[in-house]
Amino acid sequence: MRPFEPQLIPQYFAEVFPYLSVTLGVTVSVIFFGSLLGGLIAWGKISGGRVIRSLATGYTYILRCTPSIVLLFLVFYGLPKFFLEAFDYDINGLSRAVFVIISFTLLYAASSSEVMRAAYLSVNHGQYEAAVSIGLSPVTALRRIVLPQAAVVALPNFGNSVLNLMKEGSLAYTIGLVDLLGEGNLIISRQYGGSALEVYIAVGLVYLGLALLITRSVLLLEQKLLPQKTRPERGRT
Amino acid sequence: MELNYEFMVRTFGLLLQAIPVTLKLTAVTLLLATPFAFLLALARIYAVPYAAKFASAYISVMRGIPMVLQILLVYSLLPSLLNYLFKQAGIAYNIFDLDTIWYAYIIFTFSEIAVLSEVFRSALGSVGDGQIEAGLSVGMNRRTIYWRILIPQALVTALPSLCNVTVTLIKNTSLAFMMAVQDITATGKIAASYGYNYVEAYLDVFLVYIIVCSLVQIAFRISEKHLGRFRHTSQISG
Repeated sequence: MRPFEPQLIPQYFAEVFPYLSVTLGVTVSVIFFGSLLGGLIAWGKISGGRVIRSLATGYTYILRCTPSIVLLFLVFYGLPKFFLEAFDYDINGLSRAVFVIISFTLLYAASSSEVMRAAYLSVNHGQYEAAVSIGLSPVTALRRIVLPQAAVVALPNFGNSVLNLMKEGSLAYTIGLVDLLGEGNLIISRQYGGSALEVYIAVGLVYLGLALLITRSVLLLEQKLLPQKTRPERGRT
Repeated sequence: MELNYEFMVRTFGLLLQAIPVTLKLTAVTLLLATPFAFLLALARIYAVPYAAKFASAYISVMRGIPMVLQILLVYSLLPSLLNYLFKQAGIAYNIFDLDTIWYAYIIFTFSEIAVLSEVFRSALGSVGDGQIEAGLSVGMNRRTIYWRILIPQALVTALPSLCNVTVTLIKNTSLAFMMAVQDITATGKIAASYGYNYVEAYLDVFLVYIIVCSLVQIAFRISEKHLGRFRHTSQISG
């Protein structure tokens, strides 16, 4: 058996670290597009008619049952075929990142719609009525009164979904995106399978650091926002 | 879109036959992980020195490393390590003959221990301390209190989270194809590459996972109703 050489880990760490930008780029794009779509779905679940509501609920249900890898393959193979046959347009040359972003946006929208819905419903409806009764417009009431409170409630779940997204995003290497894990695998294959353990440990350390960073910042943000949330309760007692 | 429906029907039948493998992966993993997860949860609840620290470190490491990476790491290390150890110890067994599903069990169990221990911790915490005191006051010892009072109630509270954990695990087991385990995804992948019918095959896989997850969720809902009966009766009498 080939000896384990931990002294090589820092070197591999330095080699894969620049590809953090790819992983982060994909993650941030998915959070952006996924939140837009997720917000739309959450809105459909909260205030849509019967058809829209069941569509939104059905979407979330189906996506919740779909393994990321299956959706990724489906989008990666299905979308070009669909475009070719429906519009006679070849999108096979598109960057792999586009397919990854589309698949994970679909998945992330489902989970973020649930986070948003729960957070929105956690804010007492009386708050909105009170705001409107003193003359705020419905949009201002939503923007200044309901959403800031909902955001605090959503924060821990938001952190969790982002963490999950970042981890699941590592599957992107299976369709050939060169992100953290993709580069790690390239390094290993350049050495004909050597140093696999050291490279994977280096990649794991980057992910671990990223995960700790996300968890920590969510906690910090929560603590920063929490006093505002508890103030009225303190006043009541 | 032009789809090969005849192929889809044929593959669908193949995929249905692979469902037991996915369910076996899920069930064995949950069974293996439960006792360890329970111990980790207890360690954190009672703030056992060192053990509680180890538990929280273990959970955050497992939470931070992607499943694929865990699979790649263990699968690239464990077989050759075991082979080496077996040779050193003079055991004639060829480790490469071992069914690779065992590696899948090991990897999924390690990550599920972390997930389940959090579920158990919050479920055990949801049962009031008064119940332990009441148990002690009628002369039960701690073990009886746990087995007869705490765990049955905590289990019912934990059922919705357990349902979530199970569905997530079923989805995660789709990665077992990386270890050459013939589960739903792997069967679909092989069927797909046979005649380049990727879209059809993955649509089938997609459908099968929806069916499996739906059935699991229905089963959990039924058992929740069945096991949660005591809640309603106590509400009426109280």
